[in-house]
Amino acid sequence: MDIDTPEFMEYFLDFSVAVTGFSRFDLQGTGQVSLYFSTIRGIIGDQIFGELLQTFHDLDRKAKRENNQSVLTDGISFEILVSGKLGPIARNIIKLWYTAIWYQLPSPWQEKFGARQNDITFIVSPYAYPEGLLWPAIGVNPPGAKAPGYGTWSEPPSVKLS
Amino acid sequence: MKSDRLKLITTIEDLRYYLIQGMKIEHATIPPYLTALYSLKPGSNLEAFHMIRPIVVEEMLHLTLAANVFNAVGGNIEGVFTNPEFVPRYPTKLPTGEEEFLVNVGKFSKQAVKTFLNIERSKEVTQDEPLVGSRVKEEFLLSIFGYDPTKSFSSIRLFYAEVIRGLYALHKEMGDALFCGDPQKQISREYYYNGAGDIIKVTDFDSAIRALTLIQEQGEGSRTEAIYDAEKKLCHYYRFEQLELGQYYVVDKNEPLNSDKPHCPTGKTFTVDWDAVYPVKENAKLNDYPKGSELYTAAQDFQKAYSKFLEEIEDSFNGNPEKLVLAVGGMFRLRDLANSLIRNPIPGMDGVNGAPIYRLD
Repeated sequence: MDIDTPEFMEYFLDFSVAVTGFSRFDLQGTGQVSLYFSTIRGIIGDQIFGELLQTFHDLDRKAKRENNQSVLTDGISFEILVSGKLGPIARNIIKLWYTAIWYQLPSPWQEKFGARQNDITFIVSPYAYPEGLLWPAIGVNPPGAKAPGYGTWSEPPSVKLS
Repeated sequence: MKSDRLKLITTIEDLRYYLIQGMKIEHATIPPYLTALYSLKPGSNLEAFHMIRPIVVEEMLHLTLAANVFNAVGGNIEGVFTNPEFVPRYPTKLPTGEEEFLVNVGKFSKQAVKTFLNIERSKEVTQDEPLVGSRVKEEFLLSIFGYDPTKSFSSIRLFYAEVIRGLYALHKEMGDALFCGDPQKQISREYYYNGAGDIIKVTDFDSAIRALTLIQEQGEGSRTEAIYDAEKKLCHYYRFEQLELGQYYVVDKNEPLNSDKPHCPTGKTFTVDWDAVYPVKENAKLNDYPKGSELYTAAQDFQKAYSKFLEEIEDSFNGNPEKLVLAVGGMFRLRDLANSLIRNPIPGMDGVNGAPIYRLD
């Protein structure tokens, strides 16, 4: 499967919106979309990543065709998150968006689908860390980055969730 | 007629008028510098990032210093920052009367760096058109600042030279009565967390001169043929020139005279990656974004927040200095929103990204 096409990048964005709760604007605003895409691809390979994105996209299309959002939400739960193959990847993508960290896949996954050489726990890039969704989710700046300005610590956190 | 726009300073009202122009000029540099800065892709062009960012911070200091001088001479700041014309309509001509170049708000590029050099330039006094009439008084000062009274202001430096000259002349005439402003309106260190040189409380002639000289020198140097200011820091003009030349200047802090000569840096070389830049929409307007899109809403949010920020700044410069701290907090939130805008492609425009809109129209 060749996932090096603009469509798969779009599926990835749509999937990320669905599983993180942040909007496309927020996700693209991190500047990390293509880095995350290529990181995931480089770790698990085109086959399984493509399968995840295609599964999501089919559900998304079906939900739109039937004008029924629960087709998508149920589908994400039962066909992706519950799946032994796709579930751990999907959860890893959520964590990646929130923390900028790729977590090593659990060993049952590795045993069943094969260990990947680059599958270690690591921070994807120093510039991804301050862009983690964790920080806007709790309304604080990432420690050591995006300085909020002298004295702003006297203000309550400003949680902004769209 | 442009030649009527800026007159020589002969009254305290003239001086206040010039200082308002000064605040407008300082502010006018911030949107183009910031937008270019945030157009750099994360992790790329670190040299450019670390060169441009401190310059913007120093422009903010200049703005505050100009406000301090304005308040010190009894100017009424109410309505200055909140005037709809305070934020220029980009592309704009700088309000010094330098009519031969336009300033755009857009991405970091070779052209943008050229414009920034124009903004900060010190020596190229080429414009022949007279903007101000001939004046024989204060020749000593005029010669110090290289100001030719038959020429228009062809640099911000020359503009401030006139402000300083006017301040001298008026102080001679009026004495300390010139500093009739309320000292409570001064922004001092308690309210200005500085990372860009010292904030100067302006209460008398000496402090006013120090404040104005600092503005002048950080931009363009302490004297001709020097690349550094009084603090031995490289001036804005030469910092930008490093981007054009791909090489750092060396300033010898112990033996300043051994520093590099203008246009001949000898420091480390580096490569500018002109392509590692988001394709920001130049001089973006709200109607560049599809109505109802997230981008439209975000651009509108930025626009409103920026205008509110200017209101807060004005309020803090108008006797409520303690409010500056929180206004600056708002500024940092604007930074994050500007970054998000710049990283988002505009739907329906192939390969063009969003940009913050600073002016409320």
